[in-house]
Amino acid sequence: MVPVGGCLALSAILFGIGLIGFLGRRNIILMLVSVEIMLNAVNVSLAAFSQQLQDLRGQVLALFVITIAAAEAAVGLGLVIALYRNRPGVSVEDLTQLR
Amino acid sequence: MAISVGQIVFYYLAAASVASATLAVTRRNPIHSMLWVLALFLHVAGIFLLAGAEFLAAVQIIVYAGAILVFYLFFLMLLDLPSEQAGRPFGAHWPLGAAAGVAFAALIWYANGLSFVPPAPERVSARSALSGNISAVGTVMFSQSALAFELVSLVLLAAMVGAIVVARRKTES
Repeated sequence: MVPVGGCLALSAILFGIGLIGFLGRRNIILMLVSVEIMLNAVNVSLAAFSQQLQDLRGQVLALFVITIAAAEAAVGLGLVIALYRNRPGVSVEDLTQLR
Repeated sequence: MAISVGQIVFYYLAAASVASATLAVTRRNPIHSMLWVLALFLHVAGIFLLAGAEFLAAVQIIVYAGAILVFYLFFLMLLDLPSEQAGRPFGAHWPLGAAAGVAFAALIWYANGLSFVPPAPERVSARSALSGNISAVGTVMFSQSALAFELVSLVLLAAMVGAIVVARRKTES
């Protein structure tokens, strides 16, 4: 039995850490990984609510979130390949064309 | 009040998750950072197990730790790692990002204090989340969420085609 309040606090902290990583890191690949951390934090709270309410729809929703995360990884990394082909690095500070 | 073994395990897993996520975000070497993300995913899978979501834990390990993370590691091999390590890991506006993250976590913490947690249902059905997890999850997924399941498969197909189109080398035509 997991304390659901503790799970929610853990989820919030992990989401905050992912947000810091997404906004702060310079490397685009590590920014995408920070998005994965945020999605995982959401899954933690979904699993906790699923157990608290004894309802399996939370777990099914978490499975869908994992699927969307896989799709996001595929498209995001495809974009990184396309970027990497045209310019030397994958740092966000290299992307100043629109500035 | 006695603390059960499950709670001790949960608090260990939670502390280890937060620690590995922090290390993953702050490490300078991207490969180290990725390995800390692997540790985070494994600990989160342990939390899923503790919450009675065995199938979710298995999918977490197979898909997240197995497939997605290896995918990201492949892409890190494209990078020029020595110069990546020499540079700063954070951009110029990282204090703003840190403030946003801390403010978000504090906001959720505050909402949690406002009795955000719903009460447990009075009568627990016989087919609870803790018994026969895989078959129960499959039943819910293919009956109540059948439309969402089909939509998600469509999203995966679109992502696959989109990734190929985006990453394709332009050929002279």
